[in-house]
Order: sequence, then structure tokens, then C-alpha cells
Amino acid sequence: MRIRHAPAVTVTRRGVLVVAVTLPLGGLFQAALAANPAKHVDLDISSDGDLLAFRPDHLSCPAGASVHLTFYHTGKYVSQDHDWVLTRPGAAEAVAQAALEASEKSRWVPGKDPRVLAATPPCAKGQQVSVDFTAPAPGDYPFLCTTPGHGAVMHGVLHVTPG
Amino acid sequence: MLRPVTSIRRLAGALAFCLIVPALAAAPQSPDMVKNGLHILAGIYGDMDRKLTAGQYDRLPHENQEFEEGSGALRDAVAHDPAAFKDKVEAALKESLAAAQKVADESKSHDKSKVSAALASLASSMKALNALFPPALRAEPGTVDPPWVKHQK
Repeated sequence: MRIRHAPAVTVTRRGVLVVAVTLPLGGLFQAALAANPAKHVDLDISSDGDLLAFRPDHLSCPAGASVHLTFYHTGKYVSQDHDWVLTRPGAAEAVAQAALEASEKSRWVPGKDPRVLAATPPCAKGQQVSVDFTAPAPGDYPFLCTTPGHGAVMHGVLHVTPG
Repeated sequence: MLRPVTSIRRLAGALAFCLIVPALAAAPQSPDMVKNGLHILAGIYGDMDRKLTAGQYDRLPHENQEFEEGSGALRDAVAHDPAAFKDKVEAALKESLAAAQKVADESKSHDKSKVSAALASLASSMKALNALFPPALRAEPGTVDPPWVKHQK
């Protein structure tokens, strides 16, 4: 009967040194991650009264942040719904056009549109709605209202900064 | 008999009165509210125009309803102005409201040329309405996109 011996393991001084250094570093990295979880950011935005515009029309947040955005419809006279829809860079115009052609039943935002990153439900005057999303990679992301016809003038930019 | 200098003074006074009174009549008590009211109406006109371009005829009656609601902002804006001026604004506003209703009525035909003509008529009536106010407050149809819309899309 032949007995197979396990291969011999050579323990070098360099190997011991590498393990001795990397293990604590790994621990430190884990601790750093635990101490800095994804940043939470609250963003507020509103309509400009009854005008077709966002106030403010520029927002900012760090990449990877957990964002809670609240939209306030500050209109007083006109019963038009608004929403807040975040799109991929360069896609706002196409989304606005798709919304213009979509039906009211689809809440204007084309269903499961890959160009849409986040969207609030429609909001009536005097009301507020919100949406939670994770901020994408650094860059400028357009947002707009997808009520038909509004996106052409009611839009803005979310600046995502490096985390 | 009046001396020539006195006559000239009186004449100058009368001339100044004639020039200043109409200018004061055109300056509303709540300019910011007037500006907002005119911008709301011009914004809705712009929305009507985009719906027409997209062939969204069925949405035009809703825009007419919004135009009617938006007119409330202008009525509130001139509520504390002299009655004569308010009457002028009300008359011009009624013209615009009738023209907006015509857009809604013509939209049922789905005939682009008819709806376009009705929209052009609405634009004319809105220009007359704007003319009642100082230029700085006006928002004529087709000129409403606020300056802040020109950022990157």
C-alpha cells in the first residue's frame, strides 16, 4: 500500500512578514468601511410656484450616497401635476419626448425605461412626493418633469461629485 | 390776461399731467404678481404649442383648463388696482380666455391647420393683454422659456 504524502509547505521569513503586515491592514480596511457607511443625503426641490421650472435647478450629492429626495409642488393656481425624474447623461430630451408620447396611465415616465435612474410619483399642487435612490458614479445627470410638454422647459442637473 | 410765462408754465404742467397719468395707470400695484401671472399664462401657451407640435390634440382641452386656472393669478395680481385699469385687464383677459377655449374646441377636429390658427389667435390676444403692462413685466407667448432653462440637458 502506497501512502501519499501531502506536499511539503515551505515557510519563508518573507512569507511570514507579508502575512504579518497584511492581516492587520485588512482589519483596518474593514474597520474603515464600517466607520464610513454610504453617506445619507437629503435633497429638497420644488416647482417654481405655477411656473414650469424647478427651484433650484441644480442639485449636488456625492457618488454612492443614499439619497432621499423630496419634491414640493408649490403651485397655487394651476392644477398640473409634476414629477422629478433623473435620467442618464444625454437622455433627458429623449425621455421628455417619450413621456410626451406616453399615456397618462403610464404616469408619463415610460415603464422600466433604462434611461431613467430614479423617479418620484406624480405630484399634485400643494403636495409633496419623495424618492430614495443611490447616487450614481460621478458626473452630471439631467432631471426633468415628465408631465407631457413640461420636460422641454422644466429640467435641471444633479451634479454627482466623487465620494 | 395771463402773462406769457404763466401760460407756458400751465401748458407744461398740463402736458406733464397728460404724460404721467397714463404711465401711472400702466404701473400695477403688485408688479411681481403681475409678472408671475403673465408668465404662467405664457408658459401654458408654450405647453399648448408643444402639444400641437406633438399632435397631442386630446391634451389641449386640459391646457385650456390650466389657462383658465392660471388667469386667476393675473386677476389676483390686479385686484388692488384702480377699477378702470382692472376693467381693461379683465376685458383683455376675457379675449384671451375665449381664444384659449377656441383652441380646445378646435382640438377636437384633430386638424392641425385649424388648431394652429386658433393658437395664433390666442397669441394675438395675449399680446394685447401684455401691452397693458410695462415691458419689464410682460411675458408674451413664445418668449416664456425662463433664462435658467439653457443649461445642459
